[in-house]
Amino acid sequence: MLKISNLHASVEEKTIIKGLDLEIGPGEVHAIMGPNGAGKSTLGYVLSGRDGYEVSDGTVELNGKDLLDLDVEERAREGLFLAFQYPVEIPGVSNMEFMKESVNAMREQRGEEPLTAAEFLKKAKEACKQVQLPLDFLKRGVNEGFSGGEKKRNEIMQMILLEPSLCILDESDSGLDVDALQVVADGVNSQRNDKRSFIVVTHYQRLLDYIKPDFVHILADGKIVKSGDASLALEVEKNGYAFLGKKYEESEA
Amino acid sequence: MSQWLEQVIDNAQDVSDFLSSQRKKSLAALQEQGWPGKRAEQWRFTPLTSVEKRKAIKAKVTDEPAVPQIDKLDTIDLVFADGKLVTDISELSLPKGLKIKSLKKAGDDEQAAIKSIFAKIKPARHTFGLVNDAVAKQGVFIDVAAGAKIKPVVRVLNLSTQTGDAHTRVLVRLGEAAKLTVMEHGEGSADSLTTAFAEYSIADHAHLEHYRFALFTGKAKQIGGSHFKLGEEASLNSTLVGYGSELSRLDIDVWHAGEHANAKMNAIYLLAEGELFDLHTTLEHAVPNGTSEENARGIVGDGARAVFNGRIHIHRDAQKTLAELNNRNLLLSRRSLINTKPELEIYADDVKCAHGATVAEIDDTALYYMLSRGIPRSKALVMLNFGFIQELVTQIPKEAIADWLLPKLSERFSQMEVK
Amino acid sequence: MSEQIDQALSRKYDAGFYSEIESETFENGLDESVIRRISEMKGEPEWMLEWRLKAYNAWLQMEEPEWAHVEYPKVDFQAISYYSAPKSMKDKPKSLDEVDPELLRTYEKLGIPLHEQEMLAGVAVDAVFDSVSVVTTFREKLEDAGVIFCPISEAVHKYPELIKKYLGSVVPRTDNFYAALNGAVFTDGSFVFIPKGVRCPMELSTYFRINEQNTGQFERTLIVAEEGSYVSYLEGCTAPQRDENQLHAAVVELVAMDDAQIKYSTVQNWYPGDEDGKGGIYNFVTKRGICHTNAKISWTQVETGSSVTWKYPSCVLKGDNSVGEFYSVALTRGRQQADTGTKMIHLGKNTRSTIISKGISAGKSNNAYRGLVQMGPRADGARNFTECDSLLIGDQCGAHTFPYIESRNPTAIVEHEATTSKVSDEQLFLCQQRGLDAEKAVSMIVNGFCKEVFKELPMEFAVEAGKLLEISLEGSVG
Repeated sequence: MLKISNLHASVEEKTIIKGLDLEIGPGEVHAIMGPNGAGKSTLGYVLSGRDGYEVSDGTVELNGKDLLDLDVEERAREGLFLAFQYPVEIPGVSNMEFMKESVNAMREQRGEEPLTAAEFLKKAKEACKQVQLPLDFLKRGVNEGFSGGEKKRNEIMQMILLEPSLCILDESDSGLDVDALQVVADGVNSQRNDKRSFIVVTHYQRLLDYIKPDFVHILADGKIVKSGDASLALEVEKNGYAFLGKKYEESEA
Repeated sequence: MSQWLEQVIDNAQDVSDFLSSQRKKSLAALQEQGWPGKRAEQWRFTPLTSVEKRKAIKAKVTDEPAVPQIDKLDTIDLVFADGKLVTDISELSLPKGLKIKSLKKAGDDEQAAIKSIFAKIKPARHTFGLVNDAVAKQGVFIDVAAGAKIKPVVRVLNLSTQTGDAHTRVLVRLGEAAKLTVMEHGEGSADSLTTAFAEYSIADHAHLEHYRFALFTGKAKQIGGSHFKLGEEASLNSTLVGYGSELSRLDIDVWHAGEHANAKMNAIYLLAEGELFDLHTTLEHAVPNGTSEENARGIVGDGARAVFNGRIHIHRDAQKTLAELNNRNLLLSRRSLINTKPELEIYADDVKCAHGATVAEIDDTALYYMLSRGIPRSKALVMLNFGFIQELVTQIPKEAIADWLLPKLSERFSQMEVK
Repeated sequence: MSEQIDQALSRKYDAGFYSEIESETFENGLDESVIRRISEMKGEPEWMLEWRLKAYNAWLQMEEPEWAHVEYPKVDFQAISYYSAPKSMKDKPKSLDEVDPELLRTYEKLGIPLHEQEMLAGVAVDAVFDSVSVVTTFREKLEDAGVIFCPISEAVHKYPELIKKYLGSVVPRTDNFYAALNGAVFTDGSFVFIPKGVRCPMELSTYFRINEQNTGQFERTLIVAEEGSYVSYLEGCTAPQRDENQLHAAVVELVAMDDAQIKYSTVQNWYPGDEDGKGGIYNFVTKRGICHTNAKISWTQVETGSSVTWKYPSCVLKGDNSVGEFYSVALTRGRQQADTGTKMIHLGKNTRSTIISKGISAGKSNNAYRGLVQMGPRADGARNFTECDSLLIGDQCGAHTFPYIESRNPTAIVEHEATTSKVSDEQLFLCQQRGLDAEKAVSMIVNGFCKEVFKELPMEFAVEAGKLLEISLEGSVG
């Protein structure tokens, strides 16, 4: 469903992704691990089409469509969902209003009628419960004054509501305690099915104890340097990124 | 000197009532000051040409104007239609502790109270305030007894339906530890000029919740002010909403006269094509230990112009003051114009004062976040722009008022083009 | 503790001496004949005289400005002498050996030795004494690099085409009351020309000294940096201690062509008057630069002197991507009044400006920041950031902030922040508990407050500025 070939991308004229290949089938969970500065977050931004992230070479196809040809919102409507590492606060725009607009944008794409306020509220309340956020979070400004953990759960709640086909989780575990991590992982696991695919970007193996990957890839210096199954993550956990050479060993210290 | 002002001064000669001595003083000050020249800092960015050459004629009076209603809000309405008080106050049933009188029917006691407020709280520098002093015969006095907590909202409406001038005055006295909500609400689009000034004397420990909705549009020119004097531990929570018109100018002054008083003020302006809105505010700390917080936000549409001047003035004695002012603006086009000037004037050293002003475009990161959730760009821009003022609407203490206001603002905003 | 701070911020003005130098000084007063005489003394060509007369006629039509929050006795423009020069300068000395030794001693006393061998390497100096330039050092070395650095009176003769082209091109004769007056009667100042692609090999600096009584100083500085060039220019100024006020009305014009950079630093230490506000210099100065494409102008100023200062070094950001900066420390004490700030006029696309202003008020002084940031309709993507901080020492002074912001462009971003603070008793106590005396502690805190600005100054000036603040605060604490 997702096919990335020879992707090269840069930010502020600095090349970060340097020839990345990755193929993801329906229902698969791929973990991407790697040292700091390997380009893990950049990959999510490039795939989602963030301004300032320039693709200089390569192709990306999502469900047979040329992804790179689309605007940010079009990619989202094609089913690409990025759960942010640091979701931005948008004071003044309520969470409720925000999610209703985006859910209805997806429905329009699928040729479905927009949800009425009451229908949406029902769904939103369920999702809210599922990620264990109090209901008044729906009324508050988007991420406004949320703690780090609440922001992460809010991302997962959006994922549940938007029903994407490809979810990219960018360091969704960072800054979470064990309980919060469990909530996030449960949310993700509840959404796994044979059509929906996941890219789980993480620095540590810890998250993968909760979300079991089918494949693990090591990203270093803008390329995938090693791929394997879940055992590769355990290996990294044990030995660090030493096998990548001295440069990364230090950054891991 | 302007033709309009000359005529106003002429007309003022035959105004005679219990306020005559103050009216004469103001008239003399007005004659001395004359028409504000090009260099007058107070009017630097606001052209007065539409008033300068106008004829000073009274508006004809409509007896039964349509009064805008606010759902689920218990109000006591005092209606000025084109400058004339058309509400029969004697017919109103008022809660205990609340007294309302028209200037014309004020008794001896009330006259004394009115004299102690009239032109005593409003700064004398304001040309149109002086005009109002001299000629505003139409006015109301709202008096809350000490300790009384008044539930219904006292709403003073200025409705403009006819060509001509209207001058109205509101005088409010809150006794010690009293509580009151006042809404000054103006609407209309006739080729009119309304001067509407209000003075509030808020005694020790009293609390005033205040709204000023200046929703005049088109050719309806409005120049007015709300002026507050705070006693010890008194508090004020004020929300202002301004539309623009050919000429709209409001002056808000908060005077901390008693220690440990607290003032919170939010202002929103939302301006469409061809409109001008000018907001001047002053936080005047004359005594120690006061706190003030002001947030003013505006969206300036295509071909509109906003002027903001927010002054914090800390007197020599006003040690331990905390005062903060923030003004944020969004422009929607290259034909929008904003002039903003936050001012600090500080004569005491042990104070914490800060101000900030920004003119900015929508935050790129927030826009990207919304796009990444599939929301169309145009819709996202509207939500973000509107969210910018909605944030202040949600701080309004009375839900019914916020619920009434939000769709109104939203509709106005939806007619403005966001590029 | 605050009483200690309050205690007379009595400061010695080290530069307050008067030098006995035989001078030729015009009688007081201003009319057309005075301007003709100035022009004649300088042997100016006819076009220069005409230029002056136009400025004079414009000035006659103008009204003297009045500023809110600034109070001072009016200037009597007929009670000022508009020209004064040391007699020894009549036949301009060809080398330093011919310069009146008393003059050289004056500069030495001020810590500005004019003998090249004694000078710190890397700084060329033009010394302006009352109405004339007395010496310009390192000229040959600069000429080798193609840099022109000479008195402006000399440039009128030697480089008439450059002067005709650029004089008044940034600050027009009719710009304001004092700029017009300066245009009519300016006597000297520096002219700097940096040719295309040249990085000026040394810092250039001008020292201004008012010596004679009842004279005004009206200098004019013009700096032109051609495409891709760079120059760093410093100015310093002092005057004797007198009971009468003296007027200083200078004009500085900077032209930064495409990709050029001009860094202009000022340490202003004119006599500030005594504790009761008697005497001191009125410092009414117009400084402005124009930036073409990708050019950058950076103004840094440390203002500690003058009884009244009115000064807004400004940048017109005409070219796309051009940059304007303004870093300022203004210290007022006694009865000093400072009204200073900047104007950033954004015309081109992606233009950037930064304003950092630090005001320190002590004694019974008033210190105001007044600034303008303007975003034109074509200034797409332009950015401004402004930070104005005030520090109050004692409860008899005032600190004010008047920022004017005007925007006509929806993609331009303007951010302004201002705060006030005091030297707190807790801060002082902490420093003292760690063994510092109160005076040192205040000076440390004040220096910390100004750090952002000081780091923009060229090294030697930073040292001088730090010293000035120290002197200024001397005896301010017990």
